[in-house]
Parts: sequence; structure tokens; C-alpha cells
Amino acid sequence: MSCAEDINLLAVVVDTNPAAWAAAASDPDRPLDFVKIIEQLLIFINAHLSLKFDNELAIIASHADQSQFLYPLPPADPLDAADDEPSKPANVYKQFFDVDRAVVSKLKELVDDKRTKSAEHENRSMVAGSLALALSYINRIKRANENNSVQSRILILSISPDLPSQYIPTMNCIFAAQKVSTRIDVCRFSGRKYGGESVFLPQASHITAGIYLDIPEPSNLLQYLLYTFLPEPSMRKTLLLPHKDQVDFRAACFCHKNVVDVGYVCSVCLSIFCSLSKKCPTCQTVFPAPK
Amino acid sequence: MSSSAEVAKGVTNSIQEYLQSLPRQTFDQLYAQPATCLATLRLLPPIAKQVVMRLLYTQKPVAKADVEVWCFPDHRGDLQDSLSKLSRLHICTDYEEHLQMNRIFQENFHNALVGGGDHVSFGQPMNDNKGEVDIALLDRHAAESWETVLHQLVGTPGDRRPKAVTKLLLASGLQEFPDDGGYSETNEHQKMNITSKGFQFLLLDVNVQVWSLLLQYLGLAERQLNMDIVQVLNFLFQIGSLELGQAYSVEPLTDTQRRVMEDLKYFGIFYQRTKKSRKFYPTRMATSLTSGSMVSSRKPEDSQGYIIVETNFRMYAYTDSPLQIAILSLFVSLQARFQNMVTGLITRDAIREALTKGITSDQIITYLTAHAHPELKKQSPILPQTVIDQIRLWEMERNRLRLSGAWLYSDFTDLNEFTQIVNYAEPLGAVLWKNEKRRTLAVTEEGHENVKSFRKRAAAARAGGAGR
Repeated sequence: MSCAEDINLLAVVVDTNPAAWAAAASDPDRPLDFVKIIEQLLIFINAHLSLKFDNELAIIASHADQSQFLYPLPPADPLDAADDEPSKPANVYKQFFDVDRAVVSKLKELVDDKRTKSAEHENRSMVAGSLALALSYINRIKRANENNSVQSRILILSISPDLPSQYIPTMNCIFAAQKVSTRIDVCRFSGRKYGGESVFLPQASHITAGIYLDIPEPSNLLQYLLYTFLPEPSMRKTLLLPHKDQVDFRAACFCHKNVVDVGYVCSVCLSIFCSLSKKCPTCQTVFPAPK
Repeated sequence: MSSSAEVAKGVTNSIQEYLQSLPRQTFDQLYAQPATCLATLRLLPPIAKQVVMRLLYTQKPVAKADVEVWCFPDHRGDLQDSLSKLSRLHICTDYEEHLQMNRIFQENFHNALVGGGDHVSFGQPMNDNKGEVDIALLDRHAAESWETVLHQLVGTPGDRRPKAVTKLLLASGLQEFPDDGGYSETNEHQKMNITSKGFQFLLLDVNVQVWSLLLQYLGLAERQLNMDIVQVLNFLFQIGSLELGQAYSVEPLTDTQRRVMEDLKYFGIFYQRTKKSRKFYPTRMATSLTSGSMVSSRKPEDSQGYIIVETNFRMYAYTDSPLQIAILSLFVSLQARFQNMVTGLITRDAIREALTKGITSDQIITYLTAHAHPELKKQSPILPQTVIDQIRLWEMERNRLRLSGAWLYSDFTDLNEFTQIVNYAEPLGAVLWKNEKRRTLAVTEEGHENVKSFRKRAAAARAGGAGR
């Protein structure tokens, strides 16, 4: 049982795109309350921390125009050094308290931020940037614990529609994750007015051997999280967990960022295009004229 | 790394065994504290943890058949082991092929996760406005106190001999009185001797040492000090969840728990500035109690390793700690002592003396390897192979004689009778020794009955044959 001694690192990417959550809250069939979702997520995160003393954690918000760490915060952050820092109540485990406080205050900050107000009408989420942040954090933890093996995984809570303009960075992150054997689990909300079919995220979990789950009943989110996403990677050989059989492997073209079923592929650099051109815009290879 | 992992495993196992020996009612009281629930969960095997998490928010009993299909078929055995562990710790109960989680555990573990309830089981922090106590001081205090305990164990003369420590060392059988006079108030100051168990104890990892003493303390608290075992255990699990370097208030503690703290202070698990202080600081020893990770509570320079062993059986130890020198002198014949180092020779006599005290060769080798100097650690294997082999050989030397009960068969009338019996007994594995010339045979105790009846039958057959 060597895996029992490993350090478990969970990086959670939370989609905080305000437009999507606003739409979700007013959905007639399955209304979603952002606060309730975050509450359930925090219990799940505490459960992860409670499994083992040295379990590691990172939480990243994927906002409409930026990606930000919610936890851990840099030590120089004024929030930590503040004199009026509320002391920990005696009924709460110290680690849980730190995480919960950091996440809640950071989320408030993010929502109140003036800069994002202008971007609010844009229904998008910077998943690629958040994945990159998560991967770099995972790499840092691995470097810091060279003597112990670190088992890492990423969990994406996603609600926004795919952003074809981010196809290339997203795929790059997915392949980077595959290379460092980090699984990407995806927990996806979809209703009539939000979510919708995602093309990139099922590929992400398929390529990295993660789990993709559409949440049919968001009010029971916590149970889905505890059942499906809590088992650490080493447990996945033991426990029967859901997996998605059919994966949509469609790609976005490099020229107009459209999702295409059939397209043209450059024989030299494998770039994908939706329309035929004489020269590859990526690697400048001149194609022979079609006969 | 693997050795420290094994050590961690050993620690969790011994705590679990202790917990499993407790009656059911005790568990219900124990699980009333969220901190205890959290610590117990961390002691469980990985599958059991997942089972607990899945059942946590399930109100109705779950059919066992449903739980079984959570696992791949080839891991069902592991799942069964985990489930039986859960029921022995009374976290889940079996009832009519259904699993039902202990309500008290369920409620309080939920409280631990959401920070609800009013139980103060994670410690009441206090502001340390003077800021005199830092982590370095706590580490120093823990290391010094623990070393004092070990010094007392090896019998180094000293004036700090708290009664709590003496009692515990005696109760755990690590020390004893030279004449079996037993413990009484009058001969309290009599010098005690270290036992073979005590010698073995010295060579263990610090965390294992702390836990084995704490388990002894639990037994002592129950039998002799008439303490409420639930409060003691809750307290131990609580201090495992505290934060290093933070001051905590004594106020919420019960009288029993204050007494425990008073006793355990001598082991370096807590720090209090003055005896009457209203706050206490857990040391690294306390906060790593339930973590299972081997956070060494010794000073960094100690944990670095200081022993060099050469192929010519010479040993150099870069240390000035009387304790380490005392431990080394258990199995090394020391030759010279300098300001920052001692030199010695690993001799047959020294090793044999250690062996007669009940120390095994494996313990010696593990100790030398664990405390090897960084330079020595670059080699593979860390200790010279000749030295390892020789220490093992010296141990085997003592095992040349093996005693076993036997029956001696002699005075056979002729060689024929002798070989007949030998041919019968040998396939049974009953022959210990035989001498054909003297027609003598030694038979094991187990084989004796068979051989005896065979001899009778053979004798009867011969007599019958002669008669005809």
C-alpha cells in the first residue's frame, strides 16, 4: 500500500462567470443558487482535507475575464496579515476555517470588482487560464515534495458554454496534464438557459482518464461530489465510478475558431481549418493546388 | 522512506487495536467530539474512508449488497476488511444485511466538516500578545523534555525525576526495580534498572516511542488513576488537531484533562510558561500525534544523522549528546570521547552483550542506518555489507543450540529392528538424531506415540513369526 503514503493534491477550478450564474438562477426548470453551490463545494473540500493530514488543496476561480487563486493566498496578502483578523472559533478545525474564509472573502472581492463589471455581459469563462494556473501550482507542489510522490488531480466545476477562441490553449493544457499524469475531472451543470453541450471538457477528461459528469440534480451536488469526485486517483482502480462512453472529438478551427465536424488539416503542422486556403496560416507551408 | 511509512503504519495499528478493545458505550461518548471523529477517520484504510464519506449524508440504512457493488469484483475482499473495521470501531453497524451509520458519529462528523455545534473540541485559541513563544522554543522544549525522559530511562543521574514519568516507565515495563520489590511510596527514590524492553524502546522512532508511552498512559489512567478514559482519549485526539505555535486556553478543559496535561507536560507534549498559566501551547509532538506523518520532533541537527561505520568495524559518531552516547554504548565498545565525537569499535563482545539484553540485530542495524551520517548515506547499501553480515552472524551464533523434547530409543536387539524403526520414523520427520553403531535413536515428542505403537506391532509380528 505505498499509495497510502502519497500526498494528495486536489486543484478545483470553479467557473464564476457571472452571466452564466445569473442565467442559471432564473432558469425555470432547474434554478441554481450560486451561494448554495459554493456551500456544498466547501463541504466537499473540507471532506477532502479531512481524509488525510497532508492532503493539499488549491482553488481557482475562472472568471469572465481573469483567473484567480481563491486558495491558497500568497502569504504577503494583506488579508492574512490584517490585524483585525477574526480569531478561529473553537468549534472549527483550523484548516477548514482558513480555506472557507479565504474562499468566501476572495469570491466577494471578485464579484465586487469594478473591472469585471464591464465584462459581465460577456458569457464566457477563462477555463484555459485556470487550468494553466492549476497545472503550474501542481508542478510547484511536486517540486517542493520531491521525496514523496504527489498524486494530483483537477476538478472543474463548469457552467459556461465553450469558448472556441480558447481551443488551442485549452488543448495545450489538457495534453500538459496528460503528460504529468494529472486527471481532469469535470462536473458540469446544464439547464435550459445555461450550460449546454460542451465539446472540449469531455475531451479533457477522456484524454487524462478523468471523470466527466453532467449533474442532473444540482440540489444534490454534494452527494455527487462525495460519491464521484472524492476518491483519490489511487482509489479509482478499486471503486466503480461513472465514466462517459461517447466523447465528442470535434475540434475548433484555427482560422475562425468555429467548432467543425469536418475540416481541412495541414499535413505539416496538423492545424485545423474550416475553409481551404493556398498557404497554411500557421506554418506558411504552400499547399499544392487541388486538381 | 519505506521504513518511516512502516513505522506510521505500526503506530496506526496499535492505536486501532487499543480502540477496538474498548466497549461500545465508550465509543458513543468518544464520537460526541467532532475532533475525535476526524482523528478516527484518518486512522481508517482508504476504502473505509470513502465508505464513511458516502454514508455520511445518507439517512436510511443502505443494503449491504448495494455497498458491495461500489467496488470492482477483485477488490471485494478489501471492501469487506474495511467494513468489518468500521463495525469494530462502531462507526457503522450491520443490521439485517443493511449498513447503518452510528448517528452520533454521523452528526458530529458533519459538525466537524461544517464547523457547527458547540463542543469546543478544536481548542479555544488565545491571543499571545507578548509573543515570547515561537515555534523554535516549542521544538527546543519538546526535544529537551523528551530527552530528559529517555535519560531517566537509561539511568543518567539527574535531579529532574517527575513522579509521573517514573510511574509510567515502571508501568510500561521499560524499567524495573533491581530486586522485585514492586512499587511503593517508600522506595520511590530507589534506583531503577532498564529492562530489555526498555533497550528495545530506545532504538525506536520518536513517534512510535511517544505513542507507545501514551497507550501505556491510557491503560494506567484507567486502572490506577481512576480517570475517565473517554475524556483522556478525546483530549489526545483534540491536541492532534491543534495548530503549532498557537496558544490555547485551559478554560474549556475538564479537571481530568487538566490532570492529563499536568502529567504529559513532562514528556514535552505541551508547553506552559508557568505552572499557573491559563494557556498552553501544543508542541510539534502533540500536533503530529494523529497525522501519521513522521514529523521529527528532534532538533534538526540531531535528525541529520551522525554515525559513520567503516568496513573495519570502526564507528565514529559526531555527537556530544550523553543520551546518544549512552544508546551507542549499548552495542558499541566505545574507545575515545572527544569534544564533538566519540569513536568506538563494533566488537563481538559488545554486540553479544546487547543481544543478551534482548536487543535484536535488526534493531541495531536499523538504528545505525537511520542515524547514518549524510556522507555514509550516499553509499548503497548505507552500512558496509561486511558489518551487517557480521552482526547477523553474531546473533545466529547464539542460536546454535536448539532445545526440543525427545524420547530416546536404545538397546535394540539387532540391527534389523533398529533399521526397521528408522525407516518408519524418518519419513514422518520424527527422527532428531540417530547412531547406527550404537543402535540409538532420538525421536521427537510428537512422533513418539506413532513410533511406540509401530515398535509394539513390529515386535508382536516378529514374536508371531518366531512362534510359527
